[in-house]
Amino acid sequence: MNLKAVAKRVHKILPSAKVEEYRGCVRLTGEADSWDVVYRCGVAAVDKGSLGVLNDIRLKGFCEKVKAPSLRDGAIDGATPDVLVIGGGIMGCAAARELSKLNVDVLLVEKANDVATGASSRNDGCIHVGIDLHKGQQKLHYVLRGNEYYTQLAEELGCDLKRWAQTFMFSTVWERRIIAPLMLLKGRLLGIPRMRFVTPEEMKKLEPTPPSWLTGAVYMATGGVVSPYKVTIALADNAVENGARISLNTMVEGMDVENGVIKAVRTNRGTVYPKIVVNAAGAFSDIIADMAGDRTFTIHPRKGTDLILDKKKAYYALSSFARSYFAPLPASAREDNNAAVGHTKGGGVMRTVDGNVLVGPNAIEQPYREDTTTNLEDILAIIKKQKVAAEELSTADIITYFSGVRAATYEEDFVVRRGIFTKNIIEAAGIQSPGITAAPAIACDIRDWVKDMLGATDKADFNPYRKHTPRLADADDETRARYIASNPDYGEIVCRCEEVSKGEIIDALESPLKVCTVDGIKRRVRPGMGRCQGGFCSPLVVKIIAEHEGIAPEQVLKGDEGSYILFGNTKNNGEGGVK
Amino acid sequence: MKEYDVIVIGGGPAGLAAAESAHNKGAHVAVLEREARLGGILKQCVHDGFGLIRFGEKLAGPEYAERYIDTVKSLDIDTYTLTFVTRMRRNGNVFDIDCVGRDGMSKFRAKAVVLATGCRERTAKQVLIQGTRPAGVFTAGTAQNYVNLMGKLPAKKCVILGSGDIGLIMARRLTLEGAEVEGVYEVKPEPSGLTRNIHQCLHDFDIPLHLSHTVTRVFGADRLTAVEVAQVDDKMKPVKGTERIIECDALILSVGLIPENELAESLGVKINPFTKGPDCDQTYMSSVEGVFSAGNALNVFDLVDYVSECAADAGAAAAERKSSGECVRIERGKGLLSFVPHRIDLAKPCDRVVFFFRSVKDMDKGTLKISVDGREMYKKKFAFLRPPEMQRVEIDFSAFGLKTDSAVSVELEEN
Repeated sequence: MNLKAVAKRVHKILPSAKVEEYRGCVRLTGEADSWDVVYRCGVAAVDKGSLGVLNDIRLKGFCEKVKAPSLRDGAIDGATPDVLVIGGGIMGCAAARELSKLNVDVLLVEKANDVATGASSRNDGCIHVGIDLHKGQQKLHYVLRGNEYYTQLAEELGCDLKRWAQTFMFSTVWERRIIAPLMLLKGRLLGIPRMRFVTPEEMKKLEPTPPSWLTGAVYMATGGVVSPYKVTIALADNAVENGARISLNTMVEGMDVENGVIKAVRTNRGTVYPKIVVNAAGAFSDIIADMAGDRTFTIHPRKGTDLILDKKKAYYALSSFARSYFAPLPASAREDNNAAVGHTKGGGVMRTVDGNVLVGPNAIEQPYREDTTTNLEDILAIIKKQKVAAEELSTADIITYFSGVRAATYEEDFVVRRGIFTKNIIEAAGIQSPGITAAPAIACDIRDWVKDMLGATDKADFNPYRKHTPRLADADDETRARYIASNPDYGEIVCRCEEVSKGEIIDALESPLKVCTVDGIKRRVRPGMGRCQGGFCSPLVVKIIAEHEGIAPEQVLKGDEGSYILFGNTKNNGEGGVK
Repeated sequence: MKEYDVIVIGGGPAGLAAAESAHNKGAHVAVLEREARLGGILKQCVHDGFGLIRFGEKLAGPEYAERYIDTVKSLDIDTYTLTFVTRMRRNGNVFDIDCVGRDGMSKFRAKAVVLATGCRERTAKQVLIQGTRPAGVFTAGTAQNYVNLMGKLPAKKCVILGSGDIGLIMARRLTLEGAEVEGVYEVKPEPSGLTRNIHQCLHDFDIPLHLSHTVTRVFGADRLTAVEVAQVDDKMKPVKGTERIIECDALILSVGLIPENELAESLGVKINPFTKGPDCDQTYMSSVEGVFSAGNALNVFDLVDYVSECAADAGAAAAERKSSGECVRIERGKGLLSFVPHRIDLAKPCDRVVFFFRSVKDMDKGTLKISVDGREMYKKKFAFLRPPEMQRVEIDFSAFGLKTDSAVSVELEEN
């Protein structure tokens, strides 16, 4: 490790920072006035010879009030699972499912009231090919395997996967002549299959409305798209079907570590005594690693915003496409805020697996791990930027937008490994883009490590196929008629925009991982995801949940605790109300 | 396959009126309604003021609907509830309609269709409100459903954005039901709702109306805890430094209605950019032969009485199916926000064309002028014109000597 060189780089940014080596890592301490300084110090501290950057420079006056469930019961107190998975994002859920292939006792804890509420539901669902990655990166290793694994996974879980490809579009002749062959060469070196150059004429056959300035594109046929939250939920459901337990509203508050071994994990719902802990805590994975005494990295939260457009605009894009960033943008479209543009492909335009168009994301470095608020400047900047690629794009097409926080490390790579300083932890940390693609492949390694660590055997009766109701709006008439004949609720349409039946909603309420919230149902079967955004169906959905659960409508939640929708009866409907 | 002369899609006030008049013209008629009960949005509009023009009396929404429901039920009209149209397509001279319902998949065939699919509300994201995604953000219609159909209170203290009629009505309704309405905020310099509603729903209850203001942000991780309001400039952009945080538990939006024309578009119907409904002739026939449009799907009306009138005409025209001929377009001149019809079919009668229009701005006095090939052929004076209030006038287009190449334009001159 070249600590001197690191210190020189860091001190250029923050002279008062303390730079030291700590257990093979570069550790930074001190205080800074702006997050930009904290972030740049972290980037400057990256050194190939170290295990990672521990950036403990404090931002003056900064404090994030992290959401925590208020619930305190002993629901899981005294549990002794073989494996405790921390975090119910795609990483944790994929790990739980792979682990449920073994004869081990798996418990997953998630602090929210559902799985896939963090970054796993706040991204574009792209199944990446990995062209933006580099040899030697864990990201590349897992993306290549994950991309390939998805075909089988989608089939087993009954989730839609569309291989609509990724395209990288050139606006100048020099890019076509120089960048295109270099990209194809890079693809060959990285081992990315089925890449080719396409002419604007061929592009017209592949894309409904390619941009007018197109001079050619690199077409990456293995690129695809899934619904990231549906995949996460399906992984969780299938894990539960195969014996894994999932405890929601459960937050890890501390650990007892003795001689490099985690003895106990304390949560708001009791203390758990696992043999192995899997850290899949996303934006909080460095904090969990620190609790376990195994931290070698730092998460710097990188926020991104995506826009969802009306399905009517589906013709804007089929493949996930982006304009090549090598040629400068027209002056009118240059981004105002491009501080972090180097760490995203710059966003793009793509069709989601459900048929909407998704535009974005952008990338903003900021200190909050949970700030998922949206801002007008971001929305307008994304529109302005992507209008170059999808020329008709306008704010009038928007039906919704959302932000998520990427769990980025300063090394800009995943941290997937067995514990270094703690024996019984497996890190699956820093999982950000292309995490949706990579997580299922990472989960396979986790399974193999656990098998090795515990000497576990394969579960003979593991059932990879998730029981599920097909999306009836897309089913053929015969299938649909058969479902309706078996239960007329399948013929009663509740959500008109997305054509979701009452029967499908009730099935979702009876999923292996039971989540009876409006958002939970929305993520599972889509009522409220359409252009009216639940204007017509949300009262019906509230009613169905209340009736099915035997609770009053005012007890139905939108998402997490406290997100009640109604306040009890109106004055003229008798006295009452819970709050 | 169930076959009809006319199939009406939507069982609200427009659909029912269309069905009745189509039946009265001798057609075999069916109404397809996706909800469990007929009546459309009127079911939840428990306030009165409906029917003054149509029935000469003040009715509550459900009462108004009931009159049409009773009529339709007394006639030989088939009504299908909980019947959802999944697909429509043209098949030669007829239309094939696929439906799904509790009894399975069903197929219908009609010689003509009337699309009376109503409208939907614009949402918070469509007016670019930012911040978190808490519970407690409702469109006014959704809030109205909770209050009037479910008897549940969606707010204890709320801010209302938009002074559209449903927003105003909900301000009064929520106040009566025990909630506090902190204020109504309107981005435009003038109110968007009917004058009578400003008085009866806000003034009478001392609810403040803040013009040229908008809600820019919502707060609260789980339930809404506050909103940020700001003044806007003359381009309706928030003015920096005028932001104010209001603690409340709900934001209710009445920021516009969008005609629902997804089925129409699937048939290739051309949409008018100003009404956002199908481009139509004087019989409310769209650009697709045999496809008629009625009610708020055609054009968002202010009064249900007009909805029923236009729908009845559309229904009768759908039953008669007069053959169409060359059309003359009516060009939109200055002073007009929107109008229907958009073209005159010269092969169809045009001596009594009902012309609905809205002014582009408030005008104390205005003159509606129609000119043909540059010559003024018609003018009529109007008083107290306001964009939210639809004007109705009958015009004898047959007197203008229209030919296929005539250039017809209409304008509203302020005087």
